[in-house]
Amino acid sequence: MKVIEIHNVNKIYNESEVKVHAVNGVTLDFEEGEFAAIVGPSGSGKTTLLNLIGGLDNPTSGDVMIGGSLMSSLKGSDLTDFRMHNIGFVFQAYNLIPVLTARENTEFVMRLQGKTAKECSNRVEELLKAVGLEERMEARPSKLSGGQQQRVAVARALASKPKFVLADEPTANLDSKSTETLLDIMEKLNKEENITFIFSTHDARVVKKARRVITIEDGKVISDEYKNIED
Amino acid sequence: MITSISWKNVWRNKSRSLIVIIAVTLGTIAGVFVAGLMNGWVNQRIKAAIYTEVGHIKVQNPDFLVNEEAAYSISNFLEVTKYLDNSTHVKAWSARSKIMGMASTARGNAGLTLKGIHPEKDKLVSDIYANLLPNTGSYFESKSKQPPVFISHKTAEQLKIKNFRIRDVTVDSLKTLDVPENVILKLDTLINTRFITQKKFEVAIKEVWNSTEIKSYGPALLSTAAYFHPRAKITFSFTKINGELGYQTYQVCGVYKTSNTMFDQNSAFVKHSDLAPAAMLADNQIHEISILLNSEENIAGFKTTLQTKFPEASVMDWKELAPDAGMMADFMTMYYYIIMGIIFFALAFGIINTMLMAILERIKEIGMLMAIGMNRIKVFIMIMLETVFLTLTGSLIGMILGGLLIKITGETGLNFSSVAEGFEAFGWSSVVYPTIETSFFLGVILMVIVIAILSSIVPARKALKMKPIDALKME
Ligand SMILES: Nc1ncnc2c1ncn2[C@@H]1O[C@H](COP(=O)(O)OP(=O)(O)O)[C@@H](O)[C@H]1O
Ligand SMILES: [Mg+2]
Repeated sequence: MKVIEIHNVNKIYNESEVKVHAVNGVTLDFEEGEFAAIVGPSGSGKTTLLNLIGGLDNPTSGDVMIGGSLMSSLKGSDLTDFRMHNIGFVFQAYNLIPVLTARENTEFVMRLQGKTAKECSNRVEELLKAVGLEERMEARPSKLSGGQQQRVAVARALASKPKFVLADEPTANLDSKSTETLLDIMEKLNKEENITFIFSTHDARVVKKARRVITIEDGKVISDEYKNIED
Repeated sequence: MITSISWKNVWRNKSRSLIVIIAVTLGTIAGVFVAGLMNGWVNQRIKAAIYTEVGHIKVQNPDFLVNEEAAYSISNFLEVTKYLDNSTHVKAWSARSKIMGMASTARGNAGLTLKGIHPEKDKLVSDIYANLLPNTGSYFESKSKQPPVFISHKTAEQLKIKNFRIRDVTVDSLKTLDVPENVILKLDTLINTRFITQKKFEVAIKEVWNSTEIKSYGPALLSTAAYFHPRAKITFSFTKINGELGYQTYQVCGVYKTSNTMFDQNSAFVKHSDLAPAAMLADNQIHEISILLNSEENIAGFKTTLQTKFPEASVMDWKELAPDAGMMADFMTMYYYIIMGIIFFALAFGIINTMLMAILERIKEIGMLMAIGMNRIKVFIMIMLETVFLTLTGSLIGMILGGLLIKITGETGLNFSSVAEGFEAFGWSSVVYPTIETSFFLGVILMVIVIAILSSIVPARKALKMKPIDALKME
């Protein structure tokens, strides 16, 4: 089943004198349960592409369909609510609310959806255990390491069982050990929950873990490879 | 959950929030206390207007309102009083004859209205008897050669019945009031000299005492040296009902003082049974009936009933009879809210500024929240609640402290005569007992919430104007 369909999408920035063709005629599909990396050098258009998929930005032309809905038909709060229900996000930084504990941050999107703390608690504890933070559930972000904070962000992105998770350079601020841990956790959850993961990176060690590697340069997809991983 | 985030956000920058909270607390204390002070003052005025001066309702001859001539008495007095006696709404009533005239002593004159009362009945309607100054006599109780009159402190001054003399007892009482020996000694040359006005006495004191001594011991000296010429005789001249000029001599049996100088200046009380024959009034020729009801709630209804029953009489309630007090009663609550409104309007700028800083410094976080699915309404609610909590915390503390202050000063009273300086202040203390209704606090809470919501609009707009991707962009 196709979760995401991108058809001939372009994003052109006109703001300055120079036109920037940040995403240039990209056509891609993502199936349920994929674990895909978008790879490319800095400035190649990874963030722009993820923002278009995540409904945080509108394409200059072309269509982005998520679960059969055309993203450009949604506006304002409808679009925000669509994101809340369908997409999990992990950013490079500023992922967590500093005044809330790891548990409260993890349940945040579920609570936005209207669930009570009680209804969330099983799911949240299960996820925080899965990301190895069962001991730190009541800690605030400032008491957690960068890697631990990103793991909470992953837990939060998955908590509401979205259609897919977008992670824009989730390991950019992490050391190699934390990077490996985070990737292992993401991979495990991807398998256990069968939730599509799309993450961008320019780190070769991260690329290694992906089952599908989409390489972009100057806004164009220059290769799209599936690795055969036989365990 | 948004509520708890907002509350926690208030405490993110503790010192900045505390500054706002303290400012709001102080502003609320000031506003609540000033409202309590005004309210106490207004309530005292209303109480005096009703229970000393006019009663709840007054019945008069409408012609008497236009022209206070003795001939315009209430036309069906007996029927009215019979109706009042049988009504369950009426607590008490008092009938008064009123004759305008001139009071004279050997040293002074004063124009005033003699009010002929039945003292025992009038006591139930007006508490004027309770305003008797100490050591000036009694309320129509002692015997006298001439008919007794109960005059005001103001009238006593105009008629120069209030005198000042430093006597041995004055010196003794000054000693008990801890006035230093050498200061008392300076008064030696003045001992036993009589001063017939306060002004003359003050001039003499200024010769022997310096200004700091006057400031510290002046009030004590004035009150111990003052005395009312006992049993002073006053002659009243007035127009009798037949148009002839009449004279009658009274003896002062007591001096009173209320908080209303106008009333004091105009009113002297005598027995109706003394006044009526002298003015050639019949026993039933009465100019006003002052009525107290059992409950203030019945005033409007009873007034209408009485007016319908006796259409030829003028029936007025206390708001019409004492329009100053009536106006205040109607508008005072609004004034208190205006005071609070002005204070909170000023505070709103500080609140808006603080909230703007708080929002701008976490704009990335708000962008992230919008990206992961917090919609504009929820973001607005979060910022609005944060503003409400910030403001409400301070105002709740302020209301508790301001309420306590009102409670304490409401019991002890606040003496404003000590605030003024010099001899001008030597009058009688004006003591205010602050008080406030609970409903006022509820009104203030509502007002704080509204103002906080309005203050949150500017910072919330700032947050909502930005797009999540712009906020999230990494520099
Ligand atoms: N808001 C913008 N306005 C103008 N140019 C932009 C904007 N955002 C990104 N770009 C440009 O688009 C190109 C792709 O950027 P980006 O998607 O951030 O790349 P990556 O995430 O791969 O580093 C870059 O050349 C960048 O300068
Ligand atoms: Mg990027």
